[in-house]
Order: sequence, then C-alpha cells, then structure tokens
Amino acid sequence: MLKKYAVRNIRLCTKDCLCLYVCPTGATDTENSIIDITKCLGCGDCAEACPSGAISMVPFEYPNQQEKTDEVVSSLKSLAISKSKQESIAIGLTGTLFKAFQISNHIQTEDLIREAGYMLPQSENTLVFLNSQLEGNQSKDFPKEKVKLLIELLSKNKVKEKMKDKTYENLMAAFTGEAEANRKYIAYAIKAEKEGKLNAAKLFRAASDAETIHALKHFEVAGKIGSTANNLKDGVAGETHEYKEMYPDFVKEAKESGNKAAEMTFTFAMKAEQTHAHLYQEALDNIDETEEVFYFLCPICGNIEKSVPDKCSICGASGSKFIKY
Amino acid sequence: MAKYICAICGFVYDEEKGLPEAGIKPNTKWKNLPSDWVCPICGAVKSDFQKADDLPSNDVNKLAPVVEHLDSMKEMSPLQISALCTNLARGCEKQYKSQEASLFKELAEYYRSISPRENNPDVSQLVELIKKDLEEGYANANAVASKAKDRGALRALVWSEKVTRILNSLLTRYKKEGEAMTDNTGVYVCTICGFIYVGDKLPDVCPVCKVPNFKFEKIEGGHEHA
Repeated sequence: MLKKYAVRNIRLCTKDCLCLYVCPTGATDTENSIIDITKCLGCGDCAEACPSGAISMVPFEYPNQQEKTDEVVSSLKSLAISKSKQESIAIGLTGTLFKAFQISNHIQTEDLIREAGYMLPQSENTLVFLNSQLEGNQSKDFPKEKVKLLIELLSKNKVKEKMKDKTYENLMAAFTGEAEANRKYIAYAIKAEKEGKLNAAKLFRAASDAETIHALKHFEVAGKIGSTANNLKDGVAGETHEYKEMYPDFVKEAKESGNKAAEMTFTFAMKAEQTHAHLYQEALDNIDETEEVFYFLCPICGNIEKSVPDKCSICGASGSKFIKY
Repeated sequence: MAKYICAICGFVYDEEKGLPEAGIKPNTKWKNLPSDWVCPICGAVKSDFQKADDLPSNDVNKLAPVVEHLDSMKEMSPLQISALCTNLARGCEKQYKSQEASLFKELAEYYRSISPRENNPDVSQLVELIKKDLEEGYANANAVASKAKDRGALRALVWSEKVTRILNSLLTRYKKEGEAMTDNTGVYVCTICGFIYVGDKLPDVCPVCKVPNFKFEKIEGGHEHA
C-alpha cells in the first residue's frame, strides 16, 4: 500500500519548473496545480527536486494520537477553562487591547486543548467528540448535517488506532521471513528432484506452500492489501525503486568484486523489473479496460512481454520457451 | 553590578552596560530604571524580570500537584468547544484538507454564537484569573506533564505561561495608563501562540514561540460594544 502522496503548497510554488519532468507519471502536470493523486506513486522525486520546498509528501495515515495521561488532560483542561473564561470576559470589554486579549486567549485555549488529546482531526478522540455533539441536546440552529458530513469525511482517513506498532512490525517481519522460506524451499525442492530424492522434494514443495499460506495471511492482517489500483501503483513504485536505485548499485558492486554470475543475475533482474514497472503502469492506466490481455513470461530472466518474441529482448532465450498468462 | 533577565523573551539588562540606544547610561542600577520601563524586545514590565543569580532551579519535585478531576467534555463551555473546533480546523489545514477545515470553522462559529454573554465583565476578573493561572495552574500542570514526560504538553505550557505573563504585564500598564495605552500605537497578536505586542517596533520573531513576525495579526477597532 502507498504510504504517502505528494501535495503542492500553491503559496510557495511558482509553477514553472522541475516537478513537471521528474515525475515518472505526469501527476504534477495539471491545469489546476493540484497534484493528481490518482497518478501519484508516492516516490517523492518531485518533493526532492523542488527548489521552492513547495511539495510535501503527505502520509495517508498519520501516527496514532499520542496517549495522554488523565492528569495531564485534566490539568491542561482546567487551564483551558480559565483561558476561555478570560476570552469571554474580554469579549464583554471594549477597546483594542481587549480585542487582542480575546484572540490571545482563544489561541491559548486551542493550543492547550490540542495537547490534551485533540491534535489529529481523524483521531478517535475527535470522532467521539463529534458523535457526542450529535447525541446531545442542541438548539435548532445546530449544523447537524455538517457534523455528520465531517464524521463521514474523517472516518475515511481515520487514524488506525490500537494496532500496536510492535505487532505491525512483527507481522511484516514474519511476512518477510515466510516469503523468504517459501522461495528457499522451492530452490531446495528443485535440487532434491535433480538428485532423485523425491520424498524430500515433496516435503520441500509442501512446506513451501505452507509458508505461502502463512505469508499471505500475515500480509493481509497487517492491512497491506489495498484496492487493485493502489496495488498497481505500489507495484510501479516497488519495481521502479528496484530498477532505478537498488539493482544499478548491486550490478556495479558485483562488477567491482569480479562476481560475473551475480552481475548477470542482477542485470537480468534490473532489466526485467523495468518492463514490470512499465506494464504495471499500463495496467493502471487501462484499469477499466475489459478486453483480455495476454502476458508472456521468459522463464530464464523473468522478462514479461505482451506477445511472444522470436528471442527474449533481455536474455536472448528462444520465444518458444515463453509461458503464457 | 548585576544582570536582569526577562522571563518572557530572555532579554538581558546589564547594569554595567545600560541601554545607551534608549538613553539609559552605563552603570544604571536596576532599581533606578523608571517604574514604567518595559523590556525593549517584548514589552514585559519590570516585575517580569529576574536577577540573573536568583533564577529558580528547575526542580519539578518542589511543585505539589493539585489535580482537579474534571469530566472531560461535559465541562466544556461553548466558547471552549469553539476553540476545540478552530484547533481541529487548523489541524485539517496542515493536512491540506480544506473541506474539513471549513466545516470545523462553521461549527466553531456556531458554538461562538451560542456562547452566553458575561453579566458584568470587568478587568479585575481578568487580573484574578491570570493571577490564579500563574500561581497555581501552570505549576500544577507543569509538574504533572513533567512526571508524564509529555513533551507536547510541556511545550504548550511554556508558551501559554509566557503569554499569560505578557497579558499580566499589559494589565499592569493598563491600570496606570487606561485606554490611552493603545492610542496612536500598534496592537498585534501572534497567531501561533497568542503573544500580544503593543508598540511600533515589532520584534523580528515572536519573543515566545519564535515564529517570524509576518505571522502577527494587527488588531484594529474593538470598540463595537461601546
């Protein structure tokens, strides 16, 4: 799932420079200056390039509301009560000084309340507050529909409460471990098959499938599976990172250390990931297209094409070896 | 020769150096400064200064917490709920959520409109409340927030306590000077912490929260209830 998206601060932006061409998907190129969130991959290239500091990477999910002790909340609130009272008295007094007192006390009340557990608009505390206002006895002028709308809007990007960070980390660590074990056991099964140790091979195959079951469940419970559009975006982001940043370094280091086999496997993967990123983006652009598309996988290097080539464009393998999807 | 430090902005008055640019000669003793002298940076009165050697240690254990238990939401006045809503509107603006921000502002406006008027508002009531905050409220809240290691709460308390001291300073001046105090001079409020500046030489940054002075709002009028 995407973690962040880019937002442009129009007050700082001069609209005439770098983000337009560093963006891999054209999300920054819009008529109204608002970055197109449906195209944004969350890669941060635009924010890094912007000389005006006008682009921020905004998280989809904010951290939990900080836990506040009851004592802290009540001592801040009793000060806030005093400030509100002072605001109220200042409203009743005349003169510029007391107008300033009103505003000053209002700002102080805001800040004290913010630190008493109301920093984030989408936190549970805010939603509880809004709901309590709906339930209470209100005058006929109470903007009930607006409060309902607020609750609906804020619930959409509600902060995930109570998923303890540690448990989330553990789920992701277990996912990585299980995913790794799955591939490892397949490698061991292939080896065992070649050696004719068929019982061992069978066990490795079964165990590798078991690890897949575990990995998928952990990933799901961690809340990492989004809509298909978002998953495609995540695919583009992941593959782009690999072919642009990760593999170029790996290839260079393998070359320097003289490890030819590593250099080759990294190079194949790097080129294949680039085609994957491209295909994911294409699938995202045509997400509502219903006409069936076929993909052909090169079993040697992992290249994917949309028609069978004579030879694999990356590793040169014969087109007859390609597997159809 | 001693030094005196402004509790609000940290300005140091050094008796040895005086303040020649303000016509105060070197070697002018603190007690010989005029009683209506104010801090050249933030406008605090003399009683908000502390002698450099007398600064209290930050021993929070000395402060005995007096915790009043309040049942959170039910205790909030409409005006306080209005501040809760404008605070949440600010939170939405920070996240570029403009629709949510304007809904919170409308809700804040509603609560402000239903807030009952004070019966006989008087400056002496402000003086009393400020005195109580400075004597008990902050000591109590600081002790509690230090114990809980709540950085955010401590930050808000530092700002609010300093702002309250400046309000106290301004009321001290108001008692002497009356309404004339703001005649022919600017009145500004820092929109981040609520610091008030009365004068014509705005400090470059807010003496309390240190934001640049373009975040100050100039206050005009205020005579509509007259």
